[in-house]
Amino acid sequence: MQASPKPLSDPREVAREADPRHSFPSMDSILTFRNVSKAYPTAGSAPREVLRDVSAEVGGGRAVAVVGRSGSGKSTLLHLAAGIDQPSAGEVELLGRSLGGLSDRERTLARRESVGLVFQFFHLLPQLPVIENVLLPAVIAGDRRALAEQRALALLERVELGGRADDLAEKLSGGEMQRVAICRALLRRPRLLLADEPTGNLDEQSGERVMELLLRLARDEGSALVYVTHSRELAARADETWRLHDGRLELA
Amino acid sequence: MRGYGLRALQAQVRAGPMLFLLAVLGVALGVAAVLSIQILNQNALGAFAGSVEAVSGGAALSVVGSGPELPEQILPRVLAERGVQAAVPLYRIDVALPPALPDRREGTLEVVGTDVFAPARSAWRLSPADLGAPLRTPGWVAVSPSLASEMGWKLGDGFEVSSGSRRVRLTVGALIDFQRTSPLASRRLAVMDLAQVQALLGAPGRLQQIDVFVRADAQVAELTGRLQDRLGPGFRLVTPEQRSAEAGGLLAAFRLNLTALSLVSLLVGVFLVYASVQAALLRRREELGVRRSLGATRRPVLTVILEEASLLGVLGTSLGIPLGILAARANAGSVSGTLRNLYLLEAIERIELSPWLVALAAGAGLAGAAAGALLPALDVSRQDPRALLAGHALQESARRRAGRLAVAGWGLLVGVSLAALTVWRGRPASGFAVAAAVLAAVALSSGWLLQAAGRHWKPRRLSLAYGARALASRPQTAAVAVGALATATSMLAAITIMVGSFRETVEVWLGQTLRADVYVTTPSWRQARSEARLSPEVMELLARQPGVRVVDRQRQFFGYSKERRISIAGFDARLPEAGTRVALMAGDPSRAPEALLRGAVLVSEPLARKAHLRVGDALPIDTPAGEASFPVAGVYHDYGGDSGGVLMDLEVLAVRFGPDQPNNAALYLAAGVDAEATVDRLRAALSGHALVIRSNQRLRQQALEIFDQTFAVTRLLQGMALLIALSGVTLALLVLARDRAAELALHRALGATRGQVFGMFLGQGLTMALDGIVLGAAGGVGLALALVFLVNRDTFGWTIDLHWPLWTLLGEAAAILAAATLAGVYPALRASRSPALELSRDAL
Repeated sequence: MQASPKPLSDPREVAREADPRHSFPSMDSILTFRNVSKAYPTAGSAPREVLRDVSAEVGGGRAVAVVGRSGSGKSTLLHLAAGIDQPSAGEVELLGRSLGGLSDRERTLARRESVGLVFQFFHLLPQLPVIENVLLPAVIAGDRRALAEQRALALLERVELGGRADDLAEKLSGGEMQRVAICRALLRRPRLLLADEPTGNLDEQSGERVMELLLRLARDEGSALVYVTHSRELAARADETWRLHDGRLELA
Repeated sequence: MRGYGLRALQAQVRAGPMLFLLAVLGVALGVAAVLSIQILNQNALGAFAGSVEAVSGGAALSVVGSGPELPEQILPRVLAERGVQAAVPLYRIDVALPPALPDRREGTLEVVGTDVFAPARSAWRLSPADLGAPLRTPGWVAVSPSLASEMGWKLGDGFEVSSGSRRVRLTVGALIDFQRTSPLASRRLAVMDLAQVQALLGAPGRLQQIDVFVRADAQVAELTGRLQDRLGPGFRLVTPEQRSAEAGGLLAAFRLNLTALSLVSLLVGVFLVYASVQAALLRRREELGVRRSLGATRRPVLTVILEEASLLGVLGTSLGIPLGILAARANAGSVSGTLRNLYLLEAIERIELSPWLVALAAGAGLAGAAAGALLPALDVSRQDPRALLAGHALQESARRRAGRLAVAGWGLLVGVSLAALTVWRGRPASGFAVAAAVLAAVALSSGWLLQAAGRHWKPRRLSLAYGARALASRPQTAAVAVGALATATSMLAAITIMVGSFRETVEVWLGQTLRADVYVTTPSWRQARSEARLSPEVMELLARQPGVRVVDRQRQFFGYSKERRISIAGFDARLPEAGTRVALMAGDPSRAPEALLRGAVLVSEPLARKAHLRVGDALPIDTPAGEASFPVAGVYHDYGGDSGGVLMDLEVLAVRFGPDQPNNAALYLAAGVDAEATVDRLRAALSGHALVIRSNQRLRQQALEIFDQTFAVTRLLQGMALLIALSGVTLALLVLARDRAAELALHRALGATRGQVFGMFLGQGLTMALDGIVLGAAGGVGLALALVFLVNRDTFGWTIDLHWPLWTLLGEAAAILAAATLAGVYPALRASRSPALELSRDAL
């Protein structure tokens, strides 16, 4: 599948979309898990089953918190949602399209067009300026730089880092890095935002602030958000919570 | 500790077998380049003395003449001297041998005539049944079994050789393995009775040297003095050590040049070790940081790194030594060609490997590996634990250092260049010092260039520019690889410019000096020189041929000027054409012939430079009557050799050194006579004589073919350095692929396809190649200027006019780009397979 790059429209549209007052939540299904299982081979013994028969759905504009103990399969669930990994059984659908039958390239393009990722350890390129980090998805997609840069600067303004666009990423604090990572994830207006313990590496105050931003921006951008967290308080802010226990999903 | 070193090495191999192999290959190729050149250098010297040693068995002293030969009447005077146990008269002459097979080239036979009954201390002896046969049988000759087998000869078989224009029939009288006596003796050595050699091949009553065996109770130095007094001026007494030193001096410039080039290959190999060790250290920085945090001092860290590097060096050296021997064997032919063309030495036919050469190669490999490891090891051991634990701090310090290194490199170059142009002016070492400084400046600028090239890019997509920027942000390993490539490219470009300039200069020179229409010489001329004579009958026939207006004659032999071996040549200065025969760089061409007729000489540029001669100076030359002084009337360009020579009038030559037949003839034809048709006619008319007759055009063409052959070994060394450098590109990209696994995974997670990652890596290979070429071009120009204006002028004594072979250089740049792109394919494939799942908590 050759997905056409989502065009970044004119500056007025950029400004409108960067404006938090505009949001277009949609109830269409963005992400669907159908009887998904995932097992990893182990040396000399039976495969280790991380997810068992998981079925769930995320609608447009919704926020879902995934909770569970360490090793319960939370990150694996996110990897499957992003098409980074593939299920051993069952089906993952992104925007109504099954990822199972797609080639690596097609899954990559689907991820590029529809998914934004936020990681626990930020994964910024420390030797690049903040703006270049935010622009990375646009560079990968080959978007027009001028428009992408406008959008990136607008996002950085919204996370209160507009003045640090030209600083090297390595100079930022943890909280600032995660805010930059959120901007990067939202740059191309993904329909699905996946965040793997986005506050796990931050102090309580910074974590609060980052989560606040993430939820607000996702809502404003109309993106569905699935985030993994260990915090009950942060999980409580989601529209719904998925609890993973021994690889099985319990809807709270 | 040894156990730890081995375990660490095993871990290194497991972690990246390809990286490890490339580092070993770098050391191995560097060692191979050094060893092969040293073997060839050593064996070139051995070939010089091997055959005479095989015949006379290592005499303590030799008597030689100041002219080309010496009269045999002095033998009784030598034998009469107290302390002389035995004296062996020798006449050594190269003769031309028809090819063994029709498609083979003409060969030579190195004939040594001796008194086969003289009590020489040689290990070979004729069987009692053969005694007497050398005298009884006309043309009796003893040859080695291997030559007989190659030529298909059996005992008693006859075969034809030519000495000068004479054709002579010889008979295989005995098969003797001379190489058992003297391992470096030529396989093409043949021994005859002295009287037969003089009569059939050389000159009756003449000798080339007398080998003297000294009584056990006599002192060599004392005997030398007494013999010199007894023989008087016109004779020289030389010990084997003096002969070796003379041969060594003769080849010094040639050997030095090849050694310097082979060291560049080793240097490029050291870069690879540097890159590999640096990569291993960066990979282990956290472990080292934790160790340092827990109280480990710097020294144990350094020790472990150096131990690992030593093992790497041992492996590289073990592989490099057999490779070096193979390379030496494969290139013996082309080096032999150069030795024959430039120095008239014997071909290297057998490669001998002395233990000290192996030790030298092993030392070079181990030292190279240690040197390559030491710098990154010192660098890492100097870092504080905090910097080791935060990877980007190391990159940051490398980025900061890059500018300082570039300034230091260029500062060094400016300083050394100024010194070479002022206080070191004229010293042969100054050219090499500038060349080394150019390479240092080039290598030290690589990190700066990588950053300068990538710093300002704001790439729109995953493209070449993106790759350039990524390299700029992680300059450590890439800078070393670019440095290696720039060094090899500098050498390639410099030699291309130098050889191209040299070739152009030689072509112009040939045009200026080859003015005759037809040139006549003999098949044995190239090796035998003064002994390859044109008979009076041939000279007469040439002069009588229709269409031939003038016959110019030339004689050449080797003599001495203040212990300096020089070529002494004579031509007819009375001919009207004499004024245009040489290209004078100093002196008045219109007055030169007249000065020559009055006894002056023209000196070649190499001699003028080495002996600091100017027009109007007097040049002392040893003659049979003792040392004589010759006024210098001019200095001429001469690219035929670097040992230097003089030209004088043929009559003056005959008076000073004795009359003899000419060795070559140059024919000036009447206007309108076709040269090629004359050549055909001459060949038919003189078919009974062994002659090589060529038109002016053909001679020029062959001179340029010889020129090209001379640089064959240089091309090999260029190739080896480039191969190592391209391995460096692969190594650097593999290191990047591994060190940047998390970054690549991030790109994949953010939507980069495998194809994009592949392209990005290829782009990085291309960026490294482009940076290497840019730096290499700058270094190549600097190195070429050093080679042309300093090394060639001060070491060989040649003035070369600079020419720029632009198309060749562009072709080489394109080939390096293509090769670097290919070198990037494997790492790019590895990188493109990097899954997004590789994203770990490691810092990017």
